[in-house]
Order: sequence, then structure tokens, then C-alpha cells
Amino acid sequence: MTSLLIDLLDSVAQSPHADPALLTAADDLRAALTPDVTHGPFLTVIVRTQGRRIETLKDALLCLAAQSCQDFDVIVADHDSDEVGAVAVRAAVDEQAVDFRSRISIAEVSGGGRAHPLNVALSRATGQYIAIYDDDDLLFGHWVETFRSAAETAGNRLIRAQVGLQNVQPEAWPDAEAGFLTLSSIRAEYPEEYDQLRHIRVNSSPFMGWAFPRVLFEKLGFRFDEELEVCEDWDVILRGASLLGVTNATELTSIYRRWENGRSSYDVHDLEEWQRSESRVIEKLDAMPLVLDRGAATQIRQVLVFEDAANAHAHLLAGWTWRLATPIRIGVGVVKRARPFVGRVLRRFHLR
Amino acid sequence: MTSLSIQTILYENSPQDILRSVCALAHAAQLAKDARSVNDWEIAVGDSSPEPVFAEGLLAQLREIVEAAGGSFRYQFFGANLGHGGGHNVVASQGKSDVLVFVNPDGVVAPDALARLMAALGPGVGAVDARQLPIEHPKEFNSRTGETAWASGACLATAREVFDSVGGFDDDTFFMYCDDVDYSWRVKLAGFAVLHQPSARLFHDKRLSSGATYLPGDAEVYYSAEAALLLAHKYSRQDVVDRIISAFQASASPVEVKVLAEFERRRAEHRLPAQIDPGHDVGQFTSGNYAPHRY
Repeated sequence: MTSLLIDLLDSVAQSPHADPALLTAADDLRAALTPDVTHGPFLTVIVRTQGRRIETLKDALLCLAAQSCQDFDVIVADHDSDEVGAVAVRAAVDEQAVDFRSRISIAEVSGGGRAHPLNVALSRATGQYIAIYDDDDLLFGHWVETFRSAAETAGNRLIRAQVGLQNVQPEAWPDAEAGFLTLSSIRAEYPEEYDQLRHIRVNSSPFMGWAFPRVLFEKLGFRFDEELEVCEDWDVILRGASLLGVTNATELTSIYRRWENGRSSYDVHDLEEWQRSESRVIEKLDAMPLVLDRGAATQIRQVLVFEDAANAHAHLLAGWTWRLATPIRIGVGVVKRARPFVGRVLRRFHLR
Repeated sequence: MTSLSIQTILYENSPQDILRSVCALAHAAQLAKDARSVNDWEIAVGDSSPEPVFAEGLLAQLREIVEAAGGSFRYQFFGANLGHGGGHNVVASQGKSDVLVFVNPDGVVAPDALARLMAALGPGVGAVDARQLPIEHPKEFNSRTGETAWASGACLATAREVFDSVGGFDDDTFFMYCDDVDYSWRVKLAGFAVLHQPSARLFHDKRLSSGATYLPGDAEVYYSAEAALLLAHKYSRQDVVDRIISAFQASASPVEVKVLAEFERRRAEHRLPAQIDPGHDVGQFTSGNYAPHRY
């Protein structure tokens, strides 16, 4: 498998009638998109926190410490923590076992929105892939292992794994005021595989389900859009997938915790902020040529055929002939409903 | 100050999993000692596997890790599969610590897990369990006091005095599964509280299918079904026994047919456990579970 851009160029260059120079161009592009991997682990994990949920941060760190594959390092991006929060974040990191602690660094970041700490951490990331994991989510033991296994054949595509969903709410614990309570079992509500077209409509792939190849940032110059109040993940997913493509690892490897009682990003950011961010994401996508993966033509055709049918139906319903024919349809409906009854009456009186 | 014995029972676990688990336990015990929650501590490993899990090199490596963290290490190969509770009983009988902590070998404790368990194990408390990640157990607990119906043996702390006074795990009855439920309920009958300590964490390496369903292994299906019947019998819930037997009789599952046959064999041989809790003071059988569940 290869990235979408190279796949596109290869498919053009390999035509028997194409200029052979295109093959060279494809090779050059391939070379340009090859990451400089001379050092660093397979994965850099950016853990985004604000120092307000130390108990969930401790869950998050334990999930990392328990990974079956330990070929990763961690950057805890501590964004705008107050003094107490920053101390608590440092303490949660410092208590980790020596081997794991030696692979964690803390980036204390002030100002900016949700994307800013990610960009600061990105500038320090050395992994071949980069994953982003908020401090209130959970990982299964094979999260890194699954990404690593998929990366062997991903050819610099983005890697997407399956994410479960679970509801939680804030709740004091016997020894911790900032505890929480899990309210539901884990559900598989997100699609098993990435659908490029459907993701333009809505993002159904939580952040920690992704491993982004380093070339996306290092070679193609991607950064998280700091103008966005929310949807900073969706923006990079859509644009990145259009250039590099996506490899699906269908294992369920993480859990997105949805907060009830006013703690989720849906509550913290108002509707206007969401709408503003969504509009910006789509405008940015409109401003660039969109490369679609193999199989997209059939999918688009199906969507358009369905849309045509829906339009035709709507047109029919709005038309004067449909309205004029209303009494006839009512009459036909009455006859259809009456037919069994009439049949029973006729049979009862042996009239047929 | 309190001495601590951290026990784990192996059955053909991978050396990598054991190493990961023991390293985390040694680190957590070291932090608990630094915090003056414990003084002396040991990690005691019982091996129920057909052949010893450890090669000599790994055994030496584990001993070195534990001793470097300030603890001591002991390992015993049983030469027979004693089951979960049976293995813990044997290992516990050979130690002298004040507190026992039982931990599954596929678990990884958080750095502060042991200190948090010890903090909850105050006077009048008979057993405390940790919260499991990433699949949390749905049993209800009182978020202020931590009180709960039973404590999970995946990571459970108990005072040796309490353990000895109730006779440890009932390994005559339970081979795997529900021995922790039974232990918790007998601890309650003895007048102690059983608590859940959510701030004490155990990463229990279980995984789900892509449809988010848990697929239990054959042994888990068999022994949990067998334990359900035996537990209901032991806690004097003939109505629950009858209901389970009817369900198993109606089932086409060969596992349930086998469980039923084994239960009837025990009954015929007078090997069913003596019945306790006639007033149903501690035993809870709620929708097939042993506690009300949150979800």
C-alpha cells in the first residue's frame, strides 16, 4: 500500500501512453515523502490535559504504561493548567516507574485554543507516527501494537483503529473530590472503517483512534489549525486523508469517554463555535483539490442516484397532478382496506 | 507499620506479561513504602501450570527487580492446578505478612494502587478492591463510603487476620470465578465492610471484539456457570438454583449440560457446600449478577 498522492501519480505514470518522465516524478515524490527516520520511537503519543482531571489523567497514563508494545514516547501537553493543576500533572508523571517516566516529557503551554498545545507538542515529536490522546480517554492493551502492525503495510497512510464509546459523569470518590462514575457499557457506535465521503458530512472517528504519519507534519507541513475553536482533529483528518489516504485497522483499541452533566466539549463550546468551526473546516477543504481513494466513483454515483430519486419524489409530491389525484388515491386506499372485509362478507353469505 | 504480601497465581502466562505485572507491583510497593503505608513487603508467586512458567534466567531477573525495589520474592511451583483460590490459600499459608493483596498476573497496577488500597483498609474493613481498566466492572458502589456488594479478586486487599478468621478462599467449592464473591460475603457475615476503592487502579488486559463484545474463553464460560450454581446453593437460594437449573436444562449448550451433570454428581456424592446465610443477609442475586449493576 502507498499513500494516496503517490498512488495517484503512479496510476497515471503507469499508463503505456504516459510520458516516462512521470515515472521519475513519482519516484521523486516518493523520495520526498519518505520520512527522515534516523532516531526516535515508532510512536509519539501526545496526551492533552488541562490539569483539571487528574484522576482520569492517571487512568490515561496507566493505559500507556500497560501497553503490550512499549515502542513509544509521551509528551504530556499541559495546557493552561493553574498552579495546583500543573503540580498535580507533574506529580502524576513523576510517580511512574523509571523506564516509563524516562519516556515522558511535559510541555507546559499557555494561551491559544485546543490546537495550540498540539502544535507545541508536535514540534517536539520524534516518532514515526504521532497519536493524540486526551486525558480522559482509555486505551486497550494493544493500542500501540495495532498501530505498529498496521504501519508495516500502511505506506505512510493515516492509520485508523476502531473506537468504543462510554458515558461517564463527574462524581466525588471516597478519597478524591474530582472522581467520576462510569454510567454505561462500552458501545461500538463509530463505523468500523473510514468512509472519506461520509466523514465530510460529520466526523465519526475520535482523535485517539488515529495514528498520523510523521510525513504529514514534517514533509507536507500540516499543523493543527489554531483558528479553530473545535474540530481541529476533523480538519487534519479530512485534509490528511485526502493526500495520504487511510489504512483501517479494525481492532477496537480505545474508548472515548462522553461526559454527561456539562463536562464534554459539546457543553463547553456553544453551538455557534461548533458551526463556525465546521464552516471553516469545509471552506478549507473546498479551497484545495480533493483526492478520493479507490472506489469513490461508485460511492458518489450511488449517492447522486439516490439524491436524484429523492428530488424526483419531492418534485412529484409538490406537483399539481399529485394534488389533483388525491381523491383517487384515497378511493383506492379505501377499496384496498375494504377488500378483506368485503371478501369475508361475500364468503359468509356464499355469494361467490 | 504494616507488612504486605502481594500474591499472584500463574497458569501458563506469558513471561512478558508476568514481567510487566511484577515490575508494576514492585514499583507500587516501593512507593507505598516511601509513603509509609507499609514497611516490609514481598511478592509471592504461585505457579499452577503443568510445567514451571519461569526459566531460571527470568526467575533471577524477577528476584533482582523486586529486591532492588526493597522487597523480597518467593516462587512456588505447585505441580498441580490448584485454581485461583486454592493457589492463593497455599501461598498465604506460607507467609506472615499483616496484609494480603491478590493480583491477577495479566494485570498492571498503577503506581499509587497499593497505597490507595492500604489507605482504605482501615479498622472494620475486611476487603477492598481496585477499579479495573479499561473495562470497568459495573457493580454499584457507594461513592462516598466505597461500600459495595463484593470485592473482585483481580486486585483485592485483605487483612491476614480477616483472611484466616473466615478460612480463606473456599477452594473446595470454587475452582475459578465467584471465589472472590464468596470470600467477600463471608467477610461481611463476619461483620466487616467490603469496599471498592476507585482511585486504586488495575489495568486488566482484557479486549473486546470490533463490535465491543467480550468473548470469554471456554474455561471462563464453564467455571463461571458452575460457580453460579454453587454460589446460589451455598447462600441458601434454592429459588436461584432452580431457576439456573431450568435455564440450563432448556439450553442446548453442551457447556451448561456438563455443568448441570457435575452439579448433580456433587449433590449425589454429598460434596455440595454447607448452606449459609439462611436469612439472605449478604448474598445478592440480581438479574444473574451478584450486585446491582450500574449498567
